[in-house]
Amino acid sequence: MLSRSAERLYWLARYLERTENTARLISVTMNLIYDLPYGTEVGWHTLLTICNVDAAFNERFKIPSEQNVSRFLLADPKNPSSLLSSLSYARENIRTSRELMPDEAWEQVNKMYLYATNNLDSLSNRRGRVIFLQKIMRGCQRFTGFIAGAMSRNDSYRFISLGRNIERADMTTRMIDFGTVLLAENPNPVMREYENTLWLNVLKSLSASLMYRKQVRQRIKGKEVLHFLLKNPDLPNSVDHCLQEISYSITKLPNSEALITQLNNLEQQMLSTNIAEITPTELHQILDNLQAEFNTLHLKIAETWFLNQLE
Amino acid sequence: MATSSLWTDYQADKAYDEMINALGNVRPLCSTLGQHLQSLGVDALKARRSAAEAAILEMGITFTVYSEKGNIDRAWPFDIIPRLIEFQEWKGIEAGLKQRLKALNCFIDDVYNEQAMIKDGLLPADLIHSSSNFRPECVGMHPKFGSWANICGSDLVRDGAGVMYVLEDNLRVPSGVSYMIENRVVTKRVFPELLQNLNVMPVDTYPAQLFEMLVSIAPDGNEHPQIAVLTPGIYNSAYFEHAFLAQRMGAELVEGNDLVVKEDNCVYMRTIKGLEKVDVIYRRIDDLFLDPEVFNKDSTLGVKGLMRAWKAGNVALANAPGAGVADDKVVYAFVPEMIRYYLNEEPLLPNVPTYLCSDPEQQAYVLEHLSELVVKPANESGGYGMLVGPHSNPKEIKKFHKLIRANPRNYIAQPTLALSTCPTLCNDHLEPRHIDLRPFILQGEHSFVTAGGLTRVALREGSLIVNSSQGGGSKDTWIINTEQ
Repeated sequence: MLSRSAERLYWLARYLERTENTARLISVTMNLIYDLPYGTEVGWHTLLTICNVDAAFNERFKIPSEQNVSRFLLADPKNPSSLLSSLSYARENIRTSRELMPDEAWEQVNKMYLYATNNLDSLSNRRGRVIFLQKIMRGCQRFTGFIAGAMSRNDSYRFISLGRNIERADMTTRMIDFGTVLLAENPNPVMREYENTLWLNVLKSLSASLMYRKQVRQRIKGKEVLHFLLKNPDLPNSVDHCLQEISYSITKLPNSEALITQLNNLEQQMLSTNIAEITPTELHQILDNLQAEFNTLHLKIAETWFLNQLE
Repeated sequence: MATSSLWTDYQADKAYDEMINALGNVRPLCSTLGQHLQSLGVDALKARRSAAEAAILEMGITFTVYSEKGNIDRAWPFDIIPRLIEFQEWKGIEAGLKQRLKALNCFIDDVYNEQAMIKDGLLPADLIHSSSNFRPECVGMHPKFGSWANICGSDLVRDGAGVMYVLEDNLRVPSGVSYMIENRVVTKRVFPELLQNLNVMPVDTYPAQLFEMLVSIAPDGNEHPQIAVLTPGIYNSAYFEHAFLAQRMGAELVEGNDLVVKEDNCVYMRTIKGLEKVDVIYRRIDDLFLDPEVFNKDSTLGVKGLMRAWKAGNVALANAPGAGVADDKVVYAFVPEMIRYYLNEEPLLPNVPTYLCSDPEQQAYVLEHLSELVVKPANESGGYGMLVGPHSNPKEIKKFHKLIRANPRNYIAQPTLALSTCPTLCNDHLEPRHIDLRPFILQGEHSFVTAGGLTRVALREGSLIVNSSQGGGSKDTWIINTEQ
């Protein structure tokens, strides 16, 4: 398999996963607002913080209102990590990898892109946004489902899986961070009263609330949710599961010895982290470190398999 | 028929119309199609046109247009009314096209080796050496089966009397074949009932034929060669097609920097496992950008050392470098002579009469009759740099007068053909629009011709320019066997 193709498929999967996750993030924030008592402030700027886009946002907008943050994170073509940008990068990557995938995969992404660009106006109100986000999430799931059902488990598939799981692990840490930061920052005691509601919504954002109940068999509590989302080996969105998936793909790819070692270390480190007795600030630091580790992993993947222009 | 709004004011009398005869009646070949269109009516046809447009967008059938604002991917312009050709007529055309490409390949091989046709006085020597597509670097080469031009797209037009002529042979990097295949996919969605009832020859065998041809030209002893399609990249106007063909053949789609030529004069591609050898390259990059070591030094599209590898016989290139020497409108004028000289046969397909401006007598005639003729530069493609006499103004005529006198070798002229027309859905009724036809011919160990080809249509009323870069569209082409 060409290095160039591997790189494109990897990014295709990352961008699509990012598209879906951005939709989930906005969606969960809106849901949370409905659940909290009228007038409780949910800091929309929290979304900017956990996505690391505060500075870019402040250059373009003054107030982090629902309208502004939604527009910036969903439809702003000048924000390279907006949903629209992610989706168009995904489309560009699949458009240039059509020789590796069944036609339907491309058509599915292209269709979703056409839908998004034709319906940007509907994002200005909540109702329109709900429908839009639903369609995008479903579109991404349809793609994932199609790939799972129609693609041979070849190298192409492995790079798609790699990209998806790195992005997913990263996003799960950001979702946890979202809850952590909201709780730590908000001086309003109402937020702490509703802590469980908050964590329920975080679980829901990852479609994980049912799995939590089945597995943990406890009412929803922050520490348990944290543990579940980070260390549960069976939940597809948990960091540990993503790392296992990455490990599975990497093992079957050529020249992967160094990466396997690096990955094992990362997994051990993550599993041995004590999250039971820590402050929100410490947790935030741990999540930040994990995200940095994912980036190191990405750089190693690029170095091992992608087209190296310096040769 | 005159009572139907679909055909209101359908004026097919100026040129040969593919569907309506001079008396205003539907030709027998098209009767089923005609009845079907009639029974559907305007509104149903418009609905099907919308469905086709939506399908084209979703399937992402695009071509890239270069503009000052950047490159834009445009939806492929497609008219839903198909163009029909009778199978028996097509058999003759197919044989003529194979014959033509064989002769052209003999010619190219001769040009780079013996130059027998020149020595025998049948071709002026300066004509070859003054051709901007002659590559001295290729002298002495003998590609397998003598096939230099493995893929050819020839443009056919029908004149007022209904005779099919070859207008030009595109031997460099002809494009359009993917659109031919996709047009059929769209048509299956638009007129499924018609395709079922008529005996229409399928068009989607092309990628398999292309693959077989590429396998046949692989360096000897390799039954499972690694095949790659070399594209200039995603900003090329035909990128869609490059990706399409690679996908349909299961070949790798590579760009210049995916490939490297090592000291052993072999071509390798950079993969996740390391370097892997490439045996056959279907290159969609012009000669001059292929290898910065030999041609354009600044080319970033090509591969350093590719010519070395080709000359050493370690890689096959399709089309072979230098094949474009026959893709020259001056050389075109001599094709009937080539067929007689190399094949000892009479041409099965006629050439359009061509005046060479390099010949003083012919030049004088051309300059006197500019307002009646079509003038073309010898080496351009895409319909650029042309003068269509009857549609021009005195200023343009004056300009071409100067151009021809300054560089006679670079111009030829032909009578303005009244290109045939075909009913085309314009707004809410059918209007005649001028069309041509580009079949694709393959030649490796064997020859192959597509069943029909890409029918291009000039969407503007009265226009003769069918190129998609200049407002042209396309139609599905049906070769219909009426005998079974």
